[in-house]
Order: sequence, then C-alpha cells, then structure tokens
Amino acid sequence: MTDVATNPPQTAAAPAPAASGPAVEAVSPLRESLGIFLKNRPALVGTAILAIILLALLYGTFFVTADPYEIVWAPMTPPFEEPDYALLGTDYLGRDILAGLLTGGWPTLAVGAAAALLTVGIGILVGALSGFFGGWVDDLLMRVTEFFQVLPALLFAMVLVTLFSPSLATIAIAIGVVSWPQTARLTRAEFLRIRELEYVAAARSIGAKNSRIIFRVVLPNALPPLIVSATLTVGVAILFEAGLSFLGLGDPNTMSWGLMIGQNRGYLLEAWWPVTLPGLAIFLTVFAISLIGDGLNDAFNPKLRSR
Amino acid sequence: MSFDGHPSAGPSGAAPLAEQPLLEAVGLSVRFPMPKKSPFADRDYLHAVRGVNFKVHAGRTLGVVGESGSGKTTTAMAAVRLTEAYDGAVMFEGRDVLKMGPEALRKQRRDMQVIFQDPYSSLNPRDRVGAIVREPLDLMDVGERKDRADRVKELFSLVGLRPDQMALFPHQFSGGQRQRISIARALATNPKLIVCDEPVSALDVAIQAQVLNLLRRLQDQFGLSYLFISHDLGVVQFICDDIAVMYLGEIVEYADRPTLFAAPRHPYTAALLDAAPSLARRKSAGYSRAGAVKGDPPSPMNLPKGCAFAGRCPRAQPRCKDEKPMLRPLEGAKVACHFPLEG
Amino acid sequence: MDPLLSVRDLKVEFDTRHGRVTALAGISLDVMPGETLGIVGESGCGKSITALAMMGLIPNPPGHLTDGQIVFEGEDITRASPRRMRQLRGRDISMIFQEPMTSLNPVFTAGDQIAEAIMLHQDVSKKEAWEEAVELLRVVGIPEPRRRAASYPHEMSGGMRQRVMIAMAISCRPKVLIADEPTTALDVTVQAQIFDLMRDIQEKFGVAIVMITHDMGAIAEMADRVAVMYAGRVIEQGRADDILDDPRHPYTSGLIGCIPALGREAASAERLPPLAEIPGVVPPLHLLGAGCAFADRCPLVHDRCRRERPPLAPHGMAAQEFLGGHAVACHAAEREIAA
Repeated sequence: MTDVATNPPQTAAAPAPAASGPAVEAVSPLRESLGIFLKNRPALVGTAILAIILLALLYGTFFVTADPYEIVWAPMTPPFEEPDYALLGTDYLGRDILAGLLTGGWPTLAVGAAAALLTVGIGILVGALSGFFGGWVDDLLMRVTEFFQVLPALLFAMVLVTLFSPSLATIAIAIGVVSWPQTARLTRAEFLRIRELEYVAAARSIGAKNSRIIFRVVLPNALPPLIVSATLTVGVAILFEAGLSFLGLGDPNTMSWGLMIGQNRGYLLEAWWPVTLPGLAIFLTVFAISLIGDGLNDAFNPKLRSR
Repeated sequence: MSFDGHPSAGPSGAAPLAEQPLLEAVGLSVRFPMPKKSPFADRDYLHAVRGVNFKVHAGRTLGVVGESGSGKTTTAMAAVRLTEAYDGAVMFEGRDVLKMGPEALRKQRRDMQVIFQDPYSSLNPRDRVGAIVREPLDLMDVGERKDRADRVKELFSLVGLRPDQMALFPHQFSGGQRQRISIARALATNPKLIVCDEPVSALDVAIQAQVLNLLRRLQDQFGLSYLFISHDLGVVQFICDDIAVMYLGEIVEYADRPTLFAAPRHPYTAALLDAAPSLARRKSAGYSRAGAVKGDPPSPMNLPKGCAFAGRCPRAQPRCKDEKPMLRPLEGAKVACHFPLEG
Repeated sequence: MDPLLSVRDLKVEFDTRHGRVTALAGISLDVMPGETLGIVGESGCGKSITALAMMGLIPNPPGHLTDGQIVFEGEDITRASPRRMRQLRGRDISMIFQEPMTSLNPVFTAGDQIAEAIMLHQDVSKKEAWEEAVELLRVVGIPEPRRRAASYPHEMSGGMRQRVMIAMAISCRPKVLIADEPTTALDVTVQAQIFDLMRDIQEKFGVAIVMITHDMGAIAEMADRVAVMYAGRVIEQGRADDILDDPRHPYTSGLIGCIPALGREAASAERLPPLAEIPGVVPPLHLLGAGCAFADRCPLVHDRCRRERPPLAPHGMAAQEFLGGHAVACHAAEREIAA
C-alpha cells in the first residue's frame, strides 16, 4: 500500500469499469515513451543539434564546393581571414577546413554507427544466449566475454588496425570487437530478469518455442536499455575513431574528423583551428548523442515517469 | 471419491476410464541446484517438492494450499512442465507428461493451461490484449484462421470484458481486468485442465470475489478441471472440491473439502485454520489463540530427520523428531502425522 | 476522554499526469489513548496516505497537504517544523511498514538499528542503548535475543524482521503506533503471531494503534473502532462490532459479504453459494464527480446519489457530535433510518 502514496498515478490510471466506461484509446508503451521523450528539453536540444549537423553534412557541399583534398590557399590560414576561399581557414597543407568538416563528417558518423551496430549485434547475440539458456552456455560465453573485457581496448584495436591495414571497415570492426562485452553483459542481465517474469512462462504454456520466446517475447522487452546503450555507443565509437586517427592509425585516404585532427596535431602550437574545429564537431555530435541517450533512458524507465 | 487409499499405487491402467483421473501425479519431486561452494564440492540441492502424489478429477478442483516455501507453486508448475521435475510421473489422461518430447508436449499444452499469480507480470506489456488472447490459437493452430478473431471476441465477453477493449495494452487495465485477460488466454484452446497459481492473491477482496465467481461459472459451463494453488484457506474452501495441504515440499493432509474443513486432522492444517483471520474472532470478545504455532518454517536446505513440522507443532512428541510420518489413510482423509487430531 | 490524535478535514492532493487529483478529500478521525483504530479499504482508497500524513511523511512533491489539521496532544502537527516532526516521529508516533525486508537497513545488525533509534531520542550511552535493544528483542518474542541482536536482516525470516521493526517502533514507548499493512507480506501463521504480539504490546505499554489494512478479518481481530475508506473519504465509522455486525454503507456490507467463509461453519457437503460481488472497480480519482463515489457500483443507488455527495453523519447527526458512534455517508442508509 505504501507505493500508492509515492506513486499515485498508478491508482489514478485505472481504467473505467468494464461495463459502463467509454471506449479508451490504445496507448502502446512505445508511444507513451515517445511522449515522455518529446517533453524532455535536453533530449530535444540534443536531437536539434544532431539534426543540424546532419542537415549541414547533407546539404553543406552544395554551398562549399572546394575539394577537401585540394590545396586552396596558403597553409594555416586562420578562420574568417579569407572568407571567399576558406571560410574556416586552411590546414597545414592549405586544404579547406570547412570542406573537410563537411565531407569528413560522413565517414566519422558511419564508422560510429557501424561500430555501434556491430557492438550491439554481437552483444545482444551473446548476452541473449547466455542469459536465456544459462548453465554451461552461460559459463562458456561469459568467460569469452570476460576475455574481451580485460583486453586493453585501445591497444587491441590498434593491433587489429595495424594488422589489417587501416580502412573505415577495419576501424569499425576493431571498435565493435573491443566494445561488445558491455552490451553483452547488459543484455544478459535483462534476459536473466525477464526470463523469470510470468509472461515468459505464459508464452511457454501456450506452446511458444524457444526462438519465439527469445526474439518475440524477451528481446522486445529487453530493448529499451539496449537502445540507450547503443545510442551512447555511437558516441563512444566516434571518439574511438578519433582516437585511432589521432594516433595516426586512421584511414589516410578517407577524410574524417579524426584524420583531420591526427594530421594537424603536429602543428597545434602554430595553428589551433585545424585541430580544434573538427574536435568541436566531434564534441557537439557526441554531446548531442548522449543527450538523446539520456532522454531515451528517462523515457523508457518507468520509475522516472511520475516526475 | 476423489482419491483412493493407496497413494503409492501408481496409475493403474486397468481402472475403468470413468475412474481414471484427468491428471495424476505420482512421486513428483523437484529439486533446484544450489551454487557450488567450491569447484570441487558436491553440488547441493534444494528439495522443493518431495514425492508428492495427487489426482485431479474431471470437472473437479484440487486445491493445493500452503505457506511460502511449501512448494505448492513448484508442484503445479512441475505438473504442467513449466518447471522440470527430477523424479516421478505426471499422467495426463494416461500419458506421462514428464516423458513427452518437445513437440508432443507443445501439443499437450492445448489441454492444460495456466493462470498466473501476478496480473502485472503475466501479460507481455508490448502486446495488445487481443493479440495476447489470440496467440495460443495461432501457436497451437486451433480452429480455422478466419474464425479466430470471432473466437477472441467470444472469449472477451465470456470473461466479462468488452470486445472493443481488444486493441488496448495491458497497462491500461486494472489488476482484476488483467486477470480476466489471463483467464481468456487460458480458455482460448478449450483446455481440460487449468492450473490456477494464486490467481486472486494480488487482487483486492471485492475484485477477488468477482474473479472467483467467474472461475466457478466457467468451470460449470465448460466442465473444466482446476489445479488451484492458494495460501488462503477461505478461497480454497470456496472453490475447491479436494484439498492437499503442503508443508515444506510434502503433502501433510489430503481430503475432500467437507472432510477437511469439518475436522482437520493434521496439527498444521488446524494451525492454518486457526491463524486465518475471520470475522468471527473479535477483539471485543477478547479473542486469543490457544496453542498457536511458534516460529517460522525451517529452511528446505537442511530438512529435519523426522516430521518437518515437529519444531513448531504444539502436539510434538519425541517420536516426531526421529521418525518421519508417512501419508496414510484416516477415516476418509489422508494425513501424515503420528498423532493426528481427533475427527 | 480526549482523543490522543485527531485528524480534522484533512485534504491531500497529488500532482499526477492527469493533473492534480484529490487523494484525501477532507477526512476526520480520532485515535483514543490505548485503543486500536482500524482503517480499512481497497488499494487507492487513501488509507496509506492517511498513515503517512499522521507521520508527516507525505512526499512533497508530488503530494500537498492542502487543508485540515492533525492534532496530537493539542498540537497541530501539520504546522510543526521539520525539526519538531523529527522529534515526534519515533518518540511519540512511530510506524511499522508492510515490507520488513526493505524497511530495515541491510548493512547494519538488528541491534545496531534499534540502538540507533533509541539514541536518537534518548540521552543514553551506546552500551545502554544496546542493552535496551536486547531487552526489546526479548519483549517482541525473539528467541536468543542477545545473539539475534548481532544478526543482519538477511539472516532473519520475514516474521523475525517484522518483530525487529516492532521492537524499533516501540523503543521510545510511543503513544501512537501506526501499522501500515504490517502482515501483508507474511504467511498466515506468522501473521497470527504478529497480531498476538501487537495486542500484547498494546496491553503492556498502553500504546494506541492505527492499523491500516485491506482485510476485514484483521479488523475483527485487532480493532476497537473502524473507519472504512473509499476513494479518499471515510464512508463509515464506528465500533468494530457495529461495523462488522450491522454495516450501514452498501460498500462496507459488500466488503464483508465478498469474503469467503472459513472453517467448520462453512464445511457443508454442498457447494458453497457464489460470493457476494461488488461490481466494477474503484473509480480513478481524477474522474470523480460531484455525487457519491460509490454510486456506479452501488445496488441501492438513487438519483440523488449521483447529484449530491452524502455527508458522513451518524443517523441524522453531525459526525463530530457523535464521536465513537456509528456514522455513515450514504443517502440510502439515511432513508432506511428515517423510515
């Protein structure tokens, strides 16, 4: 009964009596979460920032026609000095930084997204099998997970990238391979929790097979924290890519924000902008993504709903 | 009569069909592995259910009553194989459910359905309630596909819900209404047996009465058999025909309803009856309990050698601590006690 | 005799996503010294909020105590400072909760937690407080109290934890003990022991008990007087025997009628008749209209019930004139009495 006091909406939300009540509109849990998300101001700010970045990347190259790989002006021209040729200045080779930012965004985001997908894919598969079946399956998979978890992530990714020549794909794979254990553990914990709920036993009692129970019953209910984690993983993967590029392990043939930082870092003391501007772009993107991730977390977490 | 005098006789294939129970559990035992203390230690087991025998007859209700830790829910779940038993047999219309392969078991589930205890976790929150009630029809391929929508509508009105509520999600219903949805889902495949695992314990009394009356009406209408799990003797007395009282994984008393409630034989049954609050026991009349049981049930991890109830029993003698009493017939009931109460 | 604790026209509102809803719509109750007042009702009727209000523990936000008084020994505690409330809580008014597992701190021993409660309100040394804690554990019937004082909550059974809670609650000899569904989480044989213990303690220390419950059986066994609550209002109030034997409100008689009978009396060979039902469910608080909140479920409903809310009145009198009497908020009951 004490929960009534601390959580009155629960009692207040009881629908009208079956016999006399008006027809009620169906509200799916997902739509309810969306409604909460749309009321979350920081999350909306994050969404707006990300939308602006995406729009700029989509349409920016119509206005900035310079080739990011071509020398357009004197090296290390500061921003706004030559607005007609290089609005945000040039790098150590004299390439247009604005053009670099606009073209380099896609590879950066793509690596982030691909790495996050890979992370979540491996993580969910391992975590789901481990949490659902338990026993020796769980023991085996968790030992493997622990092995990957104790590897120094950056070092291991560096080894992978150096072994298989740095390309966007290798970088994404390297990031995915080192960061899935966390998702796997999260998935496993959710599966362990949900597995014990009565609707899973109910599904079994009406003749559902394991595959259906895993993918149709447990997984959809385990998704909310996984979506949050996946969102945040995109941010982490972007930082990771930047880190690898900074260490000179980026793909030298593809312009990316990380690569811009990596190639210009030696000249930081002479020219701050070739490093700072892509850094700012990365910061804004990751910041927006984590605001969205937090917003999703609040939206999915029923305990915070009454606030 | 709901049971014979030979609990260990096992299912007799020779018995005429009319005498054959719908469901019969013989020596049903369930144990759960405990975490090992060290990699080299032997694994410990928690013996949740220990050699339980019972019968559910067609059209009747067997109540299994006991307190937490008595193994009553585990017993029921093992009977329909939602928990795996490690020993014993569960004969459903003469076939052993425990020996069925996955496909045979899936088919068998058409005939044995379950209503769960917690209306807040027994329905998948992401599915519309109409889909929840329809799912068993699709999964077990019951009836023609085109008729299923009508069947779902019919089920909704059977349990007292409006068909226009089918598109809603579980969280839009109250506890009592959710339990009705659970009942509709269990009824969908026209089962012969429904296991009711504390179906009303999470509900307010007024709603509890509605659901209990509904369950009994449906039983009359469809000739259902119930295996009814409850901790509440009042509920059990209302809905059950036969009753098994469980204590620490064993049946300590087994009788039909009039026999059990007119004269409980096991001191534990008497204690349960004595402890249950009743409108007749008034503070104003200075009500106090004579010979109330003391303490809590012992842990199923280290069971005593003798009678499991001996430590709390007001009638316990030295013999009770040394020698385990077996379930034996006593004037129309069966009781596991060296010193049963007078009838 | 003056009441020890008086609630007058207490109104509590909560902010929800349906806007502000009234959880308590002006309730009045009196707790006499040494008696047990039972507050009974279904989930969401406001009984737990009443208990929290008496402790000054309405969570704010989202709760707001908007009107009324709670007078304890002449002092309106709705106006008391947080400091004063902390002083009263635990010393003069204490509470035991439904779930003894979560209301005890898992990282301290039972003895530590009781001693802590004692030292909060009394000027005693740690050692004296510990000795007192052991004594209290003995009083609440825990075997080997000295050994058990050093146990952690997870090492105890549910019944034992509730005994520890009770020991803590009575450690400063409070005048009022509020028990919010103290046995709901416990098995029935353990519940019986806790009820026995509570009656025992009342006799020994003369403490007044406010017992919040949904169980009419518990009311019969524990309460001297009863307040029946529905949708944030007291709808019937009186001596326990009067309420149980002669319920005047259709809701109260419904609640009593829907309990399955138990024991020898009901041990007929025939099948028992269907239970009395109260149709429908409790209306959501944000949808309450001007009339009687029970009207939609009531077998005796009348046009007037939907228009006009019946006041809580003892057969033709104002409720406060008739303290301790039998009061009911129902137009139909009034008609019946007039006839």
